[in-house]
Amino acid sequence: MRTVYFDNAATSYPKPSSVRAAICSASNDYGGNPGRGGHSYSLRSAEMVYETRQLAAGMFKAKPENVVFTLNCTHSLNMAIKGIPGSKRSLVISSMEHNSVSRPAYALFKRGARVDVARIGRTDEETLESFKRFIKPNTGCVVCTAASNVTGRIMPVREIARLCKDMGVPFIVDGAQAAGITELDLGMGMNFICVPGHKGLLGASGTGLLISDGSFALDTIIEGGTGATSAELDQTGFMPEHLESGTLNTVGIASLLAGLKFIESTGIGSVYNHEDALCDIFIDAVKDISGISLYRRGDRFVPIVSFNLDGLPSETVAASLSDMGFALRGGLHCAVLAHRTIGTLPNGTVRFSPSVFSSERDTLLLARAIKKLSKDGV
Amino acid sequence: MTYTLIAVSSITYAMKAKRLLNNLGYYCEIEKTPKGLSSGCGYSIRVRENSSYICELLAKSSIECKGMMSVNR
Repeated sequence: MRTVYFDNAATSYPKPSSVRAAICSASNDYGGNPGRGGHSYSLRSAEMVYETRQLAAGMFKAKPENVVFTLNCTHSLNMAIKGIPGSKRSLVISSMEHNSVSRPAYALFKRGARVDVARIGRTDEETLESFKRFIKPNTGCVVCTAASNVTGRIMPVREIARLCKDMGVPFIVDGAQAAGITELDLGMGMNFICVPGHKGLLGASGTGLLISDGSFALDTIIEGGTGATSAELDQTGFMPEHLESGTLNTVGIASLLAGLKFIESTGIGSVYNHEDALCDIFIDAVKDISGISLYRRGDRFVPIVSFNLDGLPSETVAASLSDMGFALRGGLHCAVLAHRTIGTLPNGTVRFSPSVFSSERDTLLLARAIKKLSKDGV
Repeated sequence: MTYTLIAVSSITYAMKAKRLLNNLGYYCEIEKTPKGLSSGCGYSIRVRENSSYICELLAKSSIECKGMMSVNR
């Protein structure tokens, strides 16, 4: 039986054919360790790594040296949140954060930091009021997701960036669900953007980026070989090597390069319009199903729709849909704060998240399957 | 032929320099920095043109020249 994949908020699948080809050929084409030798193998890998850095820099309006390769978005967020010296003192996060933000914040809280949670309101104005209450000139840093991984709601990060700038406070944005799908770049005013390479940027798993505007230096959370300043015991002080200890994921970066090129040629606007239209089609097709709850409050969304069927555990619904040939994620989506905020604890939700390769036909077939489940039970 | 090796901070800056200079039509290749030019692992760019002028160009793009030496090859 064919299974239709609608779990792109977890990781994108399928990858473009160019990405798959890049993964296959990379271990052959880029066998040398970039930045670790002067021979042609090493330099060839380094060329590819720099090309990727440069392309990502263009997309996020950064300097290439301020684009750091990481393992995933969680890795980037940990490096940024724990690397800001002031976060040991205090930080402000939103009430819709993924555990990749709330857990590092909680870890800092246990070590003595003050953590304030700004409530995401029904409107952006309410949200901004909540942030305004907490952001002070001595706040260590502010962290907010660009878009919720549970509801898809796009957060007013441009306006939060303005509040932070007025107070001189570093602002870190979790771009896990926004990168490659909707507008997200340093021009919006944030100081750090953390993104996965394997979701909207369409690269392989094990890739991520930490992008900065260079206005706040980060302490390291790991140190080691960087291929530079090797005679010194102190960690390399300049970017990006300061934050890139150890051998880079060359195969993953090659896949990310292909993913970035795919997005560049397709256009982020086209990607968004396709996926957003599928969400509208999905909502339209399921909204009248008896017992369905849809969790979409707000004005702007990335292509994610969370729902529940009355009386049925979300994980059970997701399992039944899997049996019927549809891959969706049920549960808490590693975002306990977000589910607490929208009132879906402990059941969580079932999450529909299409990609640029998803079709209207498959979306309507999924809606039909949900209708059947609601009528016949799981 | 005589070249000038210009040591830069890292492979990232060497790549940045190479792309910048190649785009401007200058010859530029990358190699490991030889002992005597700087300590530790490092990268240099190999150029043919007036190296002081090249360093000025690089400085405009925040690429620091960490040292220079002439080589005959």
